[in-house]
Amino acid sequence: MQPSSAPPGKLVVAHPERKAQRALQRLVGATLCPVQVVTDLDGLLAAVDAQTIAVVDASVANPGLRDRPARAWIAVPGEGLAPAEASAVSSLLDAGWTHVLAHPMPILAEELLATVQKLIRGDTFGLEKYVAWGAEVRSYKLEDALDRDAAVTELAKDVVAVGLPDRIGSLVSVIADELIANALYAAPVDDSGQRFRANEPRDKGRPLVDRDVVTVRWATDARYLAIEVRDRWGSLDGASIARKLAGGGKQTSEGGMGLPLAYACCNQFVIDCAPSKMTEVIALLDVRYKPTELGRAASFHVFEGEAP
Amino acid sequence: MTTPRTSRLDMRVEGARVSLTGRIDDSTSFAELVAQLPTGGVIIDTGGVTFVNSIGMREWIRLIRVLRDRGPVTLERVADVLMTQMNLIPEFATSVQISSFHAQYVCPSCGHESAPVVDVATHAPTLREMKAPKLPCPECGAAMDLGDFPERYLSIFRNG
Repeated sequence: MQPSSAPPGKLVVAHPERKAQRALQRLVGATLCPVQVVTDLDGLLAAVDAQTIAVVDASVANPGLRDRPARAWIAVPGEGLAPAEASAVSSLLDAGWTHVLAHPMPILAEELLATVQKLIRGDTFGLEKYVAWGAEVRSYKLEDALDRDAAVTELAKDVVAVGLPDRIGSLVSVIADELIANALYAAPVDDSGQRFRANEPRDKGRPLVDRDVVTVRWATDARYLAIEVRDRWGSLDGASIARKLAGGGKQTSEGGMGLPLAYACCNQFVIDCAPSKMTEVIALLDVRYKPTELGRAASFHVFEGEAP
Repeated sequence: MTTPRTSRLDMRVEGARVSLTGRIDDSTSFAELVAQLPTGGVIIDTGGVTFVNSIGMREWIRLIRVLRDRGPVTLERVADVLMTQMNLIPEFATSVQISSFHAQYVCPSCGHESAPVVDVATHAPTLREMKAPKLPCPECGAAMDLGDFPERYLSIFRNG
């Protein structure tokens, strides 16, 4: 009998607490990649190379660490895997970290495994990675820029119709509206990188064909509600978005408030990007727990990969 | 599916008092509203606002800036969707007086969720400590708790 081979790659877990080390090792070990466990920063620096996916406790994850070569740096909550402090999430985002997990177990387990598998497999796009297999995915294709309102209204109505509370319907409306607006007006770039539709009047119709096509999908498995919006431009810069979101969505009073607002309304914010081809933003709301049982800030992830 | 974007915010003015109902979004302009209001203090009731997006929030910020230069701005029955977004923007802590607001509450006894009105004068000391008052559940009468982190609704009262 010949077992299947282990997937390529190397995982390093850095955490000062033995119990948390064990939990994290089991979690990422589910990928069947070899896992090395270290306790402190020195051990981490010695273990990580350019091919490593490093899973690092927030107390070890100093902001400058992400500039060192690795396949990915993933920050997980500190203090025995309790919810991350909003200030810790903020400082990591401000330093341009592109994988910051904010929530305690069991959300941490689901989110971390999906994150590591996406990185290992290079299979980046699609909300299906975050909801259970049995969940039905509903999609909407916008035919005109003026379809935004109708799509948002329809989505919110559908979400409430499956039995989710009005509170979730209200959050879904804001998130979908902002993500669709981002796809319609911020994503399109010209050859010089200028966002040429940024100041376009929002009451002007525009047929959405070719690169202007925007698709919206959502699904729920009674654990998460996932909303996914795709554009065909692939122009979002994950690290700069991370910096913009730093502060847990604290707003400046003018300009560019759309994505920070969507981030502030959700529990996990995922950007999947195939540069110059496609961007997909997935906002996940945890519908199992009261907001106070989750992290004060949302998790954040940026992945780069091939467009489907 | 296509629908034209006409304003879906109803603005009713009676003297220095305004009632807003509907959506504050890309289709919203407050220019005409400002022209209809007398100089001096105003009271704005936003209990009927159901949706605010980032462009709508920008318009709201501009409205408040114009009005506060003319006199005190008092907000009544601030809608839940507006309250949580205003708490993300520090300038609202000093630019408006909030007399009451809606907030998401959950009953720990029966699980009922609702967005009752919280009266600020009644609960001022509690709110300044960043604590939400307990309110009676309309279904079972038990004491309901705020269903979210207090700072999402109460940061605005920190300096009050």
